[in-house]
Amino acid sequence: MRDRPADVAHLTELLAADGYLADRGLATAVFLALSLDRPLLLEGEVGVGKTEIAKTLATTFGRKLIRLQCYEGIDASQALYEWDYARQMLQIRAMSTRAADALDSGYDEDAAVDALFGPKFLIERPLLAAVRAGDAAVLLIDEVDRADDEFEAFLLELLSDFQLTIPEIGTITASSSPLVILTSNRTRELHDALKRRCLYHWVGYPGAAREVEIVLTREPGVAPALARKVVAAVNRLRELDLAKPPGVAETIDWVRTLGVLRAGELDEHSALDTLGAVVKDRDDLELAQARLSEIVSGG
Amino acid sequence: MADTAPGGHGPSAFGPAAEGGAHPGRDLVDVLVAFGRRLRAAGVAVGTGDLRTYCAAVAPLDPGDLGDLYWAGRVSLVSRREDLAVYDRVFRQFFLDEPDDDLGKRMPLAKHARDQLRAAVEVPRADPPGPEQREEQRAELGLVASDLQVLRAKAFADCTDDELAALRKLIAAIRLTPPRRRTRRHVPARRGRAPDPRRTARETLRRHGEPPPPRHRRPRLRPRRLVLVLDVSGSMAGYSRNLLQFAYSTTRALDRVEVFCFGTRLTRVTRELDHRAPDEALARAARTVLDWEGGTRVGDCLDRFVRDWGRRGLSRGAVVVICSDGLDRGDPAVLAHAMERLKRLSHAIIWMNPHRGADPRHVPAALGMLVAAPHIDLLLSGHDLASLLELATALPRLR
Ligand SMILES: Nc1ncnc2c1ncn2[C@@H]1O[C@H](COP(=O)(O)OP(=O)(O)OP(=O)(O)O)[C@@H](O)[C@H]1O
Ligand SMILES: [Mg+2]
Repeated sequence: MRDRPADVAHLTELLAADGYLADRGLATAVFLALSLDRPLLLEGEVGVGKTEIAKTLATTFGRKLIRLQCYEGIDASQALYEWDYARQMLQIRAMSTRAADALDSGYDEDAAVDALFGPKFLIERPLLAAVRAGDAAVLLIDEVDRADDEFEAFLLELLSDFQLTIPEIGTITASSSPLVILTSNRTRELHDALKRRCLYHWVGYPGAAREVEIVLTREPGVAPALARKVVAAVNRLRELDLAKPPGVAETIDWVRTLGVLRAGELDEHSALDTLGAVVKDRDDLELAQARLSEIVSGG
Repeated sequence: MADTAPGGHGPSAFGPAAEGGAHPGRDLVDVLVAFGRRLRAAGVAVGTGDLRTYCAAVAPLDPGDLGDLYWAGRVSLVSRREDLAVYDRVFRQFFLDEPDDDLGKRMPLAKHARDQLRAAVEVPRADPPGPEQREEQRAELGLVASDLQVLRAKAFADCTDDELAALRKLIAAIRLTPPRRRTRRHVPARRGRAPDPRRTARETLRRHGEPPPPRHRRPRLRPRRLVLVLDVSGSMAGYSRNLLQFAYSTTRALDRVEVFCFGTRLTRVTRELDHRAPDEALARAARTVLDWEGGTRVGDCLDRFVRDWGRRGLSRGAVVVICSDGLDRGDPAVLAHAMERLKRLSHAIIWMNPHRGADPRHVPAALGMLVAAPHIDLLLSGHDLASLLELATALPRLR
C-alpha cells in the first residue's frame, strides 16, 4: 500500500497521474477524509465523476475497491453477509450419511451444526469485506439515496465503529478503517445524522477549461479545438433546463461518437447525427434539436 | 456550478499565530469557532461536533492559506447544497471583511413571508392523540354526536372560528394510512419467530439430509410514500392547512410524507415542517417560501415538480395528493403535459378541489381541471370533514 499523500497538491498530482483531474475542493475533501479518517459524502449532478474518484483512489493507493451499489429495498444481509445455503445442504447430506454409519461412536450433533455456521460457509458481502480489509480498501457506497432510510440508519451505525456482529460467529471489528466514499444524486435528502458523520462535498460541473482537460485526458487522440467546441456546446445544453442535463461522461461520449463517425468538426449536421450520445431523454432531445444552431455556434 | 472559492494562495489570514503542532493555536481556534457561530447565526445548522471537525481539518492543511480555510470549513461545516451560497457569503464577510449588502433587503421579505406562512400552515402538536383519546377529546371539546353530525357536513368556509378550531382538533386525530406496497425484502410468513438457520440445519440432519418443508416467505409490505402538493395561494390556504394537519397526524409515517407548497412558485417544505420546534420550523419554511402573492400557476408549478423532483424519483410508487381549485393563470398545455408526466412518475394521483363542493355530479368548470381530469385517479373535495374522511378511507385502497 502506498503512503498517504503529503499534502493536497501531492494528492492532486497522484490522481492526475492516474487520469483523474480533481479540482482543489474535491482534492481537499479527499485529503481530509484520509487525514481525519472520516467518510466522505459526495453529492452532485449526474455524471460528474463521483463514482470515478473512488475507483481512481483505489488504483492510486493500491487499495482494493469494494463497491456497494444501493437500490430501493436493499437490506442488511445483502450488504453484509449471507450463509451459503447450497454448500450447507451438501455438507448436511454428507454429515447425515456419516451420522447414520457411525451409530453410537460418539457423534456430536452440536459440533456438526457449529461447523455449518463457521467462516467456511459465510458469503462475504461488501460491508463485511470492507470491515475485514480495513485500510487496505476503498469502500464505495454508491447512490446511497436510492436505499431507504432504515438502511441509512444501519449504515450510520456501521460507519461509527466499523464493527459488526454475526450471531453465529461473533463480533468482527476492523483493525483500521477503510477510506469510505458515499455518493448521492440527491433523489432524496439524506438524514442529518449520516451527514454529520461524513465530510461533505458538492461536486458541480467542472469549469470549461477543466472539462476540456478531462476530455483530453480520457480521449488523448482528440484534437483540442474539437474538445473545446464540444465542451462549449455541452455547457449551452446545461443552460437549457433539461430534465437530464449532460454530465462529463456525456461530454466524453459525444467526443467519442464524433470520432467514430469521423466527424472532425462539430457543426449542425454532425451534431444532429450524434446528439443522442449527449441528450438521452426524449423530451430533452426535442428541445435540443430545436435549438441546435445556437448550441453549436461559436465555441 | 462555478467555483466561488477564493483563489489559490490568497492573502494570508493568519501568520505566526497559526503555527505549531497537530492542533491549531488557541487564537486560531477562537477565530474558527467565531466563524462557525456567525455561520450558525446566518441559518446554517452547524453543530459543535462540526466545529471540532473544522479545527481538526485545518490542522493538516495550511491555516495561513485562505483557500485552505475556505475548503476545510466547507467540507466540515456545510452538509447541504442549499447552504453553500450562505457559506460563501458569510466566509467573505468574515474573512475578507465584505459588507453584507443583501441582508437588509432580505429580512423584511422573510418576515412578511413568515407571517403569511403562519396564517396558512398551522403545524400540529408533535404528538397527535391516538384513536383511544378521541372520545375523550370529543367530550373535552363539548362535541356531542349531533354537533359532530352537523360539523361533518358543514363546509369549512361556513364555519365559525370556534367550529374551525374544534374541527382542526378532530382532523388531527384522524390517521391517514397510505396504501402499502411490496418491497424486495421478505419476512417469514408464520408470525412470531425470526427464521432460525441453525434450527433448520438440525431438522435437516435429523431427517437424514432431507430438508424440512421450505419456510414460507412473503414480500414485506411497506406504506407508500405520500406526496402533498398544496396550493397555498389566496382562498386555498385554509384548505391546504387542513390537509397538512391531516397528514401530520400519521406520525409514524412522517418520514414517508413529502410536502410541497405552491402559488406562483413551487417550494418543498418537508424539511422545514419536519422539525421539533414548530416556531423554528415556520421560520425555516419562511426562508424558503418567498413569493406567495400573485396568480396561481398550477401548470408551471406541477411542471417544476416533475422536473425537479418527479424525475429524480421522489414520487416513484407514491400517492400524490394535489390540493387546488385548478384556476390556472398559465398555459393549459403546460398543465396537461405536467399531469401526464406526473401520472407516469407516481402510483396514483388524488386531486382535492374544495370548489367541487358536495355535489358528486359537479362538472369542474375551471379549464385547468378539465385538462387535468384524464390523469386523476380520484377527485375529492376536501371542503368539509366528511370529504376528508372520504380521503382517509379511500387512501388505503389505492394499492
Ligand atoms: N475529474 C475527472 N477526471 C477524469 N475523468 C472524469 C472526471 N470527472 C468525470 N470524469 C469522467 O466521467 C465519467 C463519469 O463519471 P462517474 O460515473 O464517476 O460520474 P458520477 O458522478 O458517479 O455519475 P452518476 O451520478 O451518474 O453516478 C467517468 O467515467 C470519467 O471518465
Ligand atoms: Mg456514479
